[in-house]
Amino acid sequence: MQAVLSFDQAPPFAAPFRFFLTAPLFPLLAGLLLLIEGPPALASRWTPAMLALTHLIAVGFMLQAMLGAMIQILPVVAGANLPRPLLVARALHLLLVTGALALAAGFLGLFASAFPLAAVLLGTGVGGFALIAAFSLRGIPATSASIRSFRLALVGLCGLLVLGIMLAGGLSGLWRVPLIDLTRVHVNWALAGWGLALLSAVAYVVVPMFQITPAYPARFTRAFGPALLIAVLLASLAPLAADDVAELLQMPVIVLAAIFCGTTLWLQARSKRARPDATQKFWRLAMLAGLAAALLWAVARIVPPLAAWDGWPLLFGILVLVGGFMSVIIGMLYKIIPFLIWLHLQNRGKGRVIAPNMKAVLAESRMLRHLRLHLGACALLLAAVVWPAGLAHLAGLALMVASGYLFTNLLAAARLYRQHAARVDAVLAEAVHAVAKEGA
Amino acid sequence: MSHPHPKSERVIDARGLEPPEPFVLTMDALDRLPRGEKLLLQLYREPFPLYKALANNGFRHEAEHLPDGTVEVLIWHAETS
Repeated sequence: MQAVLSFDQAPPFAAPFRFFLTAPLFPLLAGLLLLIEGPPALASRWTPAMLALTHLIAVGFMLQAMLGAMIQILPVVAGANLPRPLLVARALHLLLVTGALALAAGFLGLFASAFPLAAVLLGTGVGGFALIAAFSLRGIPATSASIRSFRLALVGLCGLLVLGIMLAGGLSGLWRVPLIDLTRVHVNWALAGWGLALLSAVAYVVVPMFQITPAYPARFTRAFGPALLIAVLLASLAPLAADDVAELLQMPVIVLAAIFCGTTLWLQARSKRARPDATQKFWRLAMLAGLAAALLWAVARIVPPLAAWDGWPLLFGILVLVGGFMSVIIGMLYKIIPFLIWLHLQNRGKGRVIAPNMKAVLAESRMLRHLRLHLGACALLLAAVVWPAGLAHLAGLALMVASGYLFTNLLAAARLYRQHAARVDAVLAEAVHAVAKEGA
Repeated sequence: MSHPHPKSERVIDARGLEPPEPFVLTMDALDRLPRGEKLLLQLYREPFPLYKALANNGFRHEAEHLPDGTVEVLIWHAETS
């Protein structure tokens, strides 16, 4: 038993967990918004409700979970220790949560200063974090592809933030910017320059480690990060080009995303695990959704009536955000949270009190039930784009139910952690008391 | 867990094991590691959190990256006496 070794709990469990726990509340709000607004929200990607909904998911869920995970992963995967992790986490969390709400309020026109407020909150929080993370990675030798990719992802994070702030200022009338063109560039930096870059950095470690697959091919991990950044830069030039050239400039991002999804599925098919667990299934769903989105993009290029339909960008967005990023993040939360709880309890028990089995922290059956709810929400959201009048409200409700279920799962894990930690402390206090008595 | 290896007789091949198994096996083995002997841990990644724990608990380590992606971490007590 582990009597000899004690573990330095850096970062403390509360640092990343606060992000994970509040993240599901944002797609819950997004679902509520769709439930209330109904079919008009789905008229195009540019409706206020749809823009608010998109950012509740992209900033409230995706960015929140990703930054929380980064606080945990940078020290573990790269050996890059953030200074004062709990303080950084608390400040970032507060700024991110309030910033995401202000941003949604801005799109919905709830109050006049919402956009500038969101820009200040998110600019300070996310920009500050990017600086701190870059500082912690300073001087770390790039011994793995993940470390190199973390740096590239931070470039993407800064890009998306600067573009987002420019857009927020433009939307609130502080300055004039070409809103539509800049939005397209912002989306590329957000989903590929940051989202996919970070996902790949993390995937290189967690897919082989938790899904017992071969490693990503070295040629792939060497080339993918830089190629993606170049592709995003090319796509950023698209607004300057004629329509047909613009599509060519957008293509490399789509092709690279498809290659990433295909490679990951290929590795998953070589997993040594006899039966895929919930994490693997969430990952597979995400990669298939990513491939479907790439295919949809390609078909829209070939079939002009599809490209002209206001619904196709919505289908694309749902596939990428809800089917892709949300699925993969949920899959990782279901692996990382039980592992962290086990690790921290094991350490707290100092070898005298054994931590509960990882599988007992969050039951597989609950994760699989959530997978079904999430899959149902994805399907209904897609169907609601095609038939808004009949399904918009129901799709909103389905997203609420799935996100609410994730929240209760995480809450149950947190409760187990607290209860077990209290038991550990009681047992250890009793042991100290007994020793003191013996001494007397 | 052990098969002959030129660096050490005590080898944990944790490639292909799912966390937290490599961690648990290493902790157990270090608990039993006699002074003056070495433990070799094989992984497909560098175990940064382990390094910290090793330093905190009076162990030293040396890591080597092999061409096939394996990271070999050799661990021994800092004080051999």
